[in-house]
Amino acid sequence: MLLRMSLIPAVLLALGVPVGAQWVNLKTAGIPRTPDGKANLTAPAPRAADGHPDLSGLWEPNANKYLRDIAVDMKPGEVPMQPWAEAVYNDRKTGARAGEESDANCLPQGVPKIDAAPAPFKIFQTSSQLAILQEAFNLWRQIFLDGRKLAKDPTPTWLGYSVGHWDGDTLVVDTTGFNGKTWLDQVGHPATEALHVTEQFHRRDFGHIDLAITIDDPKAYTKPWTVKEELHLLPDSELIEFICNENNRDVPHLPGH
Amino acid sequence: MRIIETFRIFRGISVGSGFEPAGAFSGGASPGLQRGKTPRGSAAAARKGWPHGTCAVFLLFSVGLPAQWIGYPTADVPRTKDGKPDLTAPAPRDAEGHPDLSGMWEQDRRGAPPPVANAQPRAALQPGRGQFWDIGTGIEGGLPYQPWARELMQKRRADNSKDNPDVRCLPLGILQTHTHNFLRKYTQVPGEIVSLFERDSEYRQIFTDGRPLPADPQPTYGGYSSGKWDGDTLVVQTNGLKDGLWADYNGSPLTDAAKITERFRRPDFGHMQIEVTVDDPKAYTKPWTATIRLAISLNTELLEYICVENEKDATHMVGK
Repeated sequence: MLLRMSLIPAVLLALGVPVGAQWVNLKTAGIPRTPDGKANLTAPAPRAADGHPDLSGLWEPNANKYLRDIAVDMKPGEVPMQPWAEAVYNDRKTGARAGEESDANCLPQGVPKIDAAPAPFKIFQTSSQLAILQEAFNLWRQIFLDGRKLAKDPTPTWLGYSVGHWDGDTLVVDTTGFNGKTWLDQVGHPATEALHVTEQFHRRDFGHIDLAITIDDPKAYTKPWTVKEELHLLPDSELIEFICNENNRDVPHLPGH
Repeated sequence: MRIIETFRIFRGISVGSGFEPAGAFSGGASPGLQRGKTPRGSAAAARKGWPHGTCAVFLLFSVGLPAQWIGYPTADVPRTKDGKPDLTAPAPRDAEGHPDLSGMWEQDRRGAPPPVANAQPRAALQPGRGQFWDIGTGIEGGLPYQPWARELMQKRRADNSKDNPDVRCLPLGILQTHTHNFLRKYTQVPGEIVSLFERDSEYRQIFTDGRPLPADPQPTYGGYSSGKWDGDTLVVQTNGLKDGLWADYNGSPLTDAAKITERFRRPDFGHMQIEVTVDDPKAYTKPWTATIRLAISLNTELLEYICVENEKDATHMVGK
């Protein structure tokens, strides 16, 4: 999967011609620009009609290293793994289980790995919800802002059930109801169905979102732990159709399948 | 297909009572409707001629499902004096004054045209679902196939549609999405309408910012869609479709020459009508238009559906 994900941009670049004919070079409306027409990514963050910051836009994670290892900025041993989780992690990180990873099998990456997908995603914010269109795996995700509570004991899912509320200018998103089948990253930090992810989105200026992710999974970790990632706006571009399951030949060649 | 109906059964059970009038289903003698707890799902299953035992099995496993958000009340629903949703109230409008197509939509089984003679027999058993199998249902004489296209459709139908993209967990495309039984949620924002589709968590973007269709784009399952308002009708044009897509479950073909024009109208709060015109001279002798009718779906929510998870159907599908 790592191989495929990292190859895709290179292949597209090499084949560059047809991409230009799509909407990936169209000027995005509503972006402040400098006098030379370039997007002014340090302009103030826009606000929605209700006064909250508006997170809408096409975003790309600065995050390939977090896709690989969500704890890459932490010191060795700092991730508070339960002993069984550490054993699973040590086995997975050798690469011997790569064929078991969900996205290698065209299954959803899950939260929070999807926040570090190298492919961009597009956020639509209304007063009652966020819809996120993920280029990776062609999936949507919904985050409800209408005050509903997280469901108790819902049917487990890959992407969970997400509700958000505003804490000042930061959108705090809580997600539970996972199926426990996803990895937090490609090296294989485990997660269980007890996972509770809290994402804090703060659009610090027009072009950047600071994203803090807290992992609270008492079955796999001895205490909650937090990592910080970053997203940047992708101006004058657009999502491209991504169909993982079309002619997927990777899995039989991956170890651990 | 079986996966779809199974899933729909789960949804039906979890919705609970009081969700939808039984009259929405003209199937009538459905055991699910008689139970009164399984409106959408088991009705669909019954119309497909499933043995009753199949429904019973899913009822047994239904514990715990009500914990999701599919009973959560929809906001901003106009009401009649007695507090019921007023489905014939005026359609909402966006800040620019255009009709707002936002909402959760499902097939309007009361409004769909009746099956016609050239629909396959199973369609006749499923009142209101003829277009899903044969999108030419309701078009006099059926679709104007080129000879090769008719032959291909007939072969695909004889093969039980086993190579339909739906069976292979690939995107359904615009037409099969429009006639599909699952929910779709439209969100209209300035410059764009987004559709979230329950089946395989697919999505579609329809731009309304005036952008021209791309010239010679990379072909895709979903194509490239741009719309503009003509009065209260949103006229959407789409190009850039992959060759070899399916227009319906039987397998009416679409080629890479296909251009699709959709006219979206929301005549009132509770209803949407989409006139879809397909101009594909490689596969059809002339353009044809199908009318899709959708109904608002209240107090429910999209569920996660991942087609490829533990998919075991495709290898068991057989043809002639």
